[in-house]
Order: sequence, then structure tokens, then C-alpha cells
Amino acid sequence: MILVRRRAGGLPAGPARVARTHSHELSTGDRVLQWVSGAAATVPLAGLLFITIILVVWAIPAIIYSGGTFFTSDKFFIGNFYNPNFSSVNGVVAPFGANYGALTFIIGTMTSSLIALVLAVPISVGGVLMLSEWIPRQLEGPLSTFLELLAGIPSVVFGFWGLTVFGPFLGAHVFPALSHLGVILPFFKGSWAYNGQGLLTASLVLTLMIIPIIASTTRQLVRRVPVLATEGALALGMTKYEVVRVVTIPYVRTGIIASALLGWGRALGETIAVLLIIGMANNPPVNVYGTTSTLASTIAADLDSALGDGTGMAVRAMALLGLLLLTMSLITNLAGRLVVRRISSDALPVGRGV
Amino acid sequence: MNVRRHASIGFAVITGAVLVSACGSTSTVTAPPTSAASSASSSPTAAAVQTGNPTGPQTLSEAGSSLLYPYLQKLAPGISAAFPNITLTPAAGGSGTGQSEALSGTIDLGGSDAYLSSAQVTANPGSLNIPIAVSAQAVNYNLPGITNLKLSGSVIAQIYEGTITTWNNAAIATLNPGVTLPSTPIIPIRRSDSSGDTFIFTSFLSATNPTWSSGPSFGTTVSWPTVASELTASGNPAMVDTLHTTPGGIAYVGVSVEGTALVDGLGEAELENASGSYVQPETTTITAAVTAGATNVPASLAASLIYETGAQAYPIVNFEYLIINPSKITSSDTALAIRTFIEWAISSTGGATQDNLSAVGFVPLPTTVVPLVNTAVAQITG
Repeated sequence: MILVRRRAGGLPAGPARVARTHSHELSTGDRVLQWVSGAAATVPLAGLLFITIILVVWAIPAIIYSGGTFFTSDKFFIGNFYNPNFSSVNGVVAPFGANYGALTFIIGTMTSSLIALVLAVPISVGGVLMLSEWIPRQLEGPLSTFLELLAGIPSVVFGFWGLTVFGPFLGAHVFPALSHLGVILPFFKGSWAYNGQGLLTASLVLTLMIIPIIASTTRQLVRRVPVLATEGALALGMTKYEVVRVVTIPYVRTGIIASALLGWGRALGETIAVLLIIGMANNPPVNVYGTTSTLASTIAADLDSALGDGTGMAVRAMALLGLLLLTMSLITNLAGRLVVRRISSDALPVGRGV
Repeated sequence: MNVRRHASIGFAVITGAVLVSACGSTSTVTAPPTSAASSASSSPTAAAVQTGNPTGPQTLSEAGSSLLYPYLQKLAPGISAAFPNITLTPAAGGSGTGQSEALSGTIDLGGSDAYLSSAQVTANPGSLNIPIAVSAQAVNYNLPGITNLKLSGSVIAQIYEGTITTWNNAAIATLNPGVTLPSTPIIPIRRSDSSGDTFIFTSFLSATNPTWSSGPSFGTTVSWPTVASELTASGNPAMVDTLHTTPGGIAYVGVSVEGTALVDGLGEAELENASGSYVQPETTTITAAVTAGATNVPASLAASLIYETGAQAYPIVNFEYLIINPSKITSSDTALAIRTFIEWAISSTGGATQDNLSAVGFVPLPTTVVPLVNTAVAQITG
């Protein structure tokens, strides 16, 4: 347990509260608060440690079994449990035909989340600037609330809507048009599933899911841009565009990056919506519309089957996928912090206070 | 589809022997010795199954197969009414969950569409697969105007392998003389989640197509061949919905939701059975398959009812299992409760009533398998 460090001068310095540095002088209330908040501070840290340790311990046999092929093979198969033969690699025994290659899921996870991020950041920032700069005050409140309500929609609802309404709509009306753009932008070439199931539909639904995350943070930041700076800029004869470009954007830039990374984390780990929409094919997408799978959706889809593996290796392979997902999320998060630190040191006061 | 009207005959043996109604009293079901594997239809003798109301309250925890779950939900009130000290708490979660949690002793009963693999039995000696009902699966298609399409397991396997890609392929046309097949592409639809239906379906494909058997083979998750036009769906209702909105689609659907597929106007394929005739899943055809398959059930009860011989036998039929690890059952009262529940659950005067079974599209266990079940149940002693 971590005990909360008491700050000197943190309490009112009344006559009865002088020299509150020795614990035996603490009141019961202080002591309770100290222990409760200490426990509260310990829980998330212990949780992260516990999950990481369990995942690592569980994944070790799968790491030995798959070796480097985990990153280079795009075939993930938990094996045929009913075959009388077994596959044995480096002394680790797994069901016949088991192959734990995660390349498909790495590609699926990165492409779906990055497409979502690339679309969601400009939409969020643009939307927020519209709200703060051009929309009348009376409308800003309701519209912002609406934007933030989007965050409250359960992901399974997004998935259901994507599967039954949005995907078929894209497949019937949008993808045909996009594929014509293939003449200019080659990555829009290719065929797609009739009901839109695949990478691009999943990415577009993920975009909608992370917009409120990025937008709500950005809105908080934009509202804190000093009025003096913006009005000063206007007074100097700048246009609204120039104010946004010279004052507002530099001020909120760091915050936007931080919130984009938060959104990216959400997109990386999104499970049920992606499972319903991305097609769950066991191969990397053949084109931007192609079906594929992600790390999170594969764990959700295959875990139950993995539990039926008598050798127990399939569950360990799931743990390895989980470990990779956790690592990717942590790297995104740490990279985000690094970026934020570097940019905020360049940009003087602008962008601080995130 | 109607899968009623089989229970009464199916339980002649057990209804004569088990006295399930008497609360607090102990009754006895007779079962043949283990050698019954070779003579399943022999008259019951030897090993006795002690059943009855436990002395104290016993809660039997169950989790697993989402196909079996609605059936167990129907049984839960009934077992408590018949034996006031027994409470059944069913839960879904999937067959793999049911298997692993029952084997580890986390739960008493694991619901599973698939029997245990040899690796699981090796790791958990003495663990049991006890069938309590029989389920079947339909193959549906979305080709407006075409009814009674005939398909074989081998052709379906080639569709899911991506080697047959259009409906007017010669292999399909040969099976359907006189039918004008469209040239539209075939869109195979499969389950994206771990599924007992995938287990049954791929068992059928493995039994009928050597390439499939040596390739993806069978399991609740298999390594599906890459087919560009393929779609996926999570859960049986989603399979029906996806097929409904996909002209040219083909999908496998558990009988429990087959009713909605037929209401949706989807076609139900006539499948070629091992005797070369074409049958749809109906009471008579499922019963024929069960009757044919029941003669080959081993003592371990790890049996497939897939692709049985017989002119009427429907080819995609399987047992619904409860997985039990007797070595994890330490209390003799719990063991008594489990034995009592299973004997009651397979009795036509207990849980296996026509109403309960037909509500989920199941058919009762064949008479010839009941002695084997009794032998297995007798091993749960706590």
C-alpha cells in the first residue's frame, strides 16, 4: 500500500493544527482519509502490474512455441483439437496444426485505428472550432451536449448499426463511388463485401466512436484560450481564419495530440463493434474495403474455443495476443506523453495547462 | 420445421426404471456394465444409478453452450419442482467455457455442443461427456424462387473453400437437374465467434470432403479458407439476418432458430446423406439419423451423429452434452443431485418433455444410448 504523502502547509495553520507532521497527532478522520486514498491510489497500479504479470506468465509457452513467427506469420489458427496428433515446437506441445501468427491482427488493428484517427482528428477539431467561433452561443450548448452524448452510445450499438444499416449503405452507395476515385487515388481500387463488412466500414465506425473523445477534450481547451489573445489578434485586424491559425490552434495543439492518442487507444482496443463489422477474416485486408481481424476482436471471438484446448496452449496464445495489445496501448500512451512534452517545451506558454 | 413426436418411444426403457417423482426417497435406475459399449441395446442389468432428493439444499451450477442454455433454462424450474432440494443455475458463455470450467471444477455441469477431445480427457482422467438431448442444423440459402435446392456436403465444402463460386456451377447443376440456377456469385456466410454450430457444420464437411477433412477439419473455431466473397456473423440470429439481406448467400443455422429462417422466406437445402438420398431437417429425418447413429455410440459417449446411413437420415445431427469431472465433485450430496438431475433431464416424464424439447428444436436421446448414459452417470459418486 502506498501511503499518501502529507504536504507541508497543506492544512489550515490554526493554533491546534501546528506541527502536523507526526502521524500520532493525526485525527481519526485524517488517518481514515490517508488509508482510503492510499488504497485507492494502489488499486490501479496493482491492477496494471497484476494484469501484465499474469499475461506475461501465461504467454511464455506461446512465445516459446511461436517464436519470431508470431510477428511474421499472418496465419493464426488455434489448432485442431480432435486430431490424434499434436504439433510440437521447441518442446511445447499444441493441438495439431496450431500456428500463432499475429501479423494479420497487427495489420488489422493498426490500419483500422489509424484510418479512424486520421479521419477523426480533423473532424473533431473542425467541429469544435465551428462550435466555438461561428455557431451562436444559444446553439453551442445543445450541440456540444449532443457531441458528447455520442460518447455514451454503447459500442455494441455502434456495431449493430454498422452491421445492419451503415455497412450495407456504404456497400451499396458509397464504395461504388469511392472505387471510381481509384483512377486518381489507387488505394480506393478494389472490390468489397456486399454488406460493407470490412476494414473501411470498421474504420469509419471507429471514427464516429472516437470523435467525442477527441472533440470533448478539444472543446475544453478551446474554451480556455485567453480572450485577451484572440481579441487582441482580432483588434490587430486578423481574420477569423488567422486568429484560429495563429492563436487558437497553437494554444490547443498539445491537447489535441494528447486527446488523439486517447482516441487511438480506444480504437486499438475496441472489440465488439469491430468484431461485428470488420468481417473477421483470417488474413490481412486485400484492399481498403477488405475483411480482416484485429487483436481485440480475435480474442473476443476465439477465446471460448481456446478454452476447449486440452493442451491449454490456445488460451496461452490468446494471452500473447492480449499482451501484444496491452503493449501497443502502452506504447501509444507513452509516445503521446513524449510528443506532448517535446511540443510543449517548444511552444512556450501556448499549449500548456492541458 | 417440426421436431416433436419422438419423446414417448425414446424413453420406454428409462421411464420403466426410474421413479423420479418421489421427493426425499431414493430411487434406482439400472444400467448395464461398461461392456455395454458393444451391445448398447441389451436389456438393462448391473450398475445402479442412485437418484433422489438430497438431504440438504444443493445448487448445481452450469455454464457453457449457448445452444443448450435455453433448454436448461426450461429445465431449471422443473427440477426444483420435482426435487425441492435441487436448484439448477444455468448460464451461457460458450461450449469452451463450459468444458474448461467443468473440468477445473469451477462449475458442476458444463454445457457443450462438442464432446471432450482426447487431450482434455488425458489431462482430466475420468471426465465425462453425458448427452442429454439431440440437436440438428439446417443449411439455408437465399435464392428467391428456388425451392428444394439439393446440395451435398462435398459441394458445400467446395463453396466454403472458394473453389465453387457461382450458383450455376456444374457441380450444383448436376445435383439439381431441371432447376434453372442463376449465375450469381455464391456468398458463403460463416460464424465469426466460437460456435458449436461451426463444430457440427465442419464435422459434416469433414465427413463428406477429404480436402476439407485434411485441411480446416472440424472444431468450434477452424482455420477457414480465404474466400473473397465470404461474410461473417456472430450468433445464430445474426446468421439468419445476414443471409436474409444477402442474395446468393448460403449459411448454416441451428434448428433452434431455423423457424425464423423459414419465416424469412429463405430456402432450406435438401442435403445428400450417406445413403445418397436428399433430406431436410424434420422430425422423421433427425430421428432416423439418431436411430442409425445410436448403434455406434462408444462407452465414452464421445460420438458424432453426423452423416449417418439410412435412406431417411438427416446428415447434420449431434448430441448436446453436459461435461462433468467426477474427481472435482467432492460431496456425495452434490453427486446425488447431479445424478438425479441428469436422470430426470433425460426422462420423458421429467425434463425431456415434448414441450421443452420442441421449444428449442431438440429431439430426445435415443433409447439405445440411455443405458450408456446411466453407466456414465453411475460414475459420479462424489
